[in-house]
Amino acid sequence: MTEAEAISLFKCLSDKSRLQILKSLVVEDMYVERLAERLGLTAPTISFHLKKLSDAGAVTAYKNQYYMMYSLNKERFQTSILAILQQESDEAQKQAQRDAEYRQRVIDAFFEYGKLKSIPTQRKKERIVLEVIAEAFDFDRVYSEREVNIIIADFHDDFCTIRRDMVGEQLLGRNGMEYWRIKIPQ
Amino acid sequence: MNEQHQKLKLYLDKQITDCIQRCKLLTAENRMDEGNFEKVRANVYEIFKTILSAAEKVYGTDNIAEKRFFLEKADQIPKSWTASYENAKQHGDIEKMHMESIKLDTVREIKDICMQIWEETI
Repeated sequence: MTEAEAISLFKCLSDKSRLQILKSLVVEDMYVERLAERLGLTAPTISFHLKKLSDAGAVTAYKNQYYMMYSLNKERFQTSILAILQQESDEAQKQAQRDAEYRQRVIDAFFEYGKLKSIPTQRKKERIVLEVIAEAFDFDRVYSEREVNIIIADFHDDFCTIRRDMVGEQLLGRNGMEYWRIKIPQ
Repeated sequence: MNEQHQKLKLYLDKQITDCIQRCKLLTAENRMDEGNFEKVRANVYEIFKTILSAAEKVYGTDNIAEKRFFLEKADQIPKSWTASYENAKQHGDIEKMHMESIKLDTVREIKDICMQIWEETI
């Protein structure tokens, strides 16, 4: 089920009368007049609701002698809500682009000619800044504390704070006086 | 204000109040679309309340002329609704057909009541 289809279905279900129609159709297939009688609504109102349910893929119709019978599209309801939520959003690409643009704005604001102007106060921004500094470290290599300090000092004088925060943010691993770059899980 | 005018105005006012009340109840019950149908009905009654008020301003105490004016409008106004209904029918648009038929049914009801009130009192 696509995101648009899920939205359409949820919108359609947020109505008591339509839910009552579906509850009736769970029991057995019915025609408009039978549903109208059962739910105490007029036949045109039932037709109105069935059209919406049909558009949302919740019901299907078939002809049986003189009547148009409606039945529940059980397949539609076998999808779990969790499965819908886990599906990649149509918006995912746009969100990723917005995140990348935000990241670039933070980098542009805090770095000038490769030097860090100040350590951001906001944790989210500091994380981005620390990730940029972490790129100066190679993976699969162990650094001494002195080497770490020298690399960080190329960016900012307060290498102690930055080194500590990089360890805290799990960008650098530490064992005594030895440091190494940690891969960020995707 | 003549007697017929007064009766029809009271009728329209009551229908509007009832529709609003039903709309509130249906909305509270999460029956939004049916609540909207009541709003549509209330709007039609409002339109004809305005027409009735205009008829009084134009014709004063001449209740026959007032009735004629009111019924003429009740024939003219729904023409576009009828066209819209037919158009929706051609395209199988059940939702639109239902909306338009609510408006047309309400006008029919208003016309019947209007004629009934004028016959009763003349």
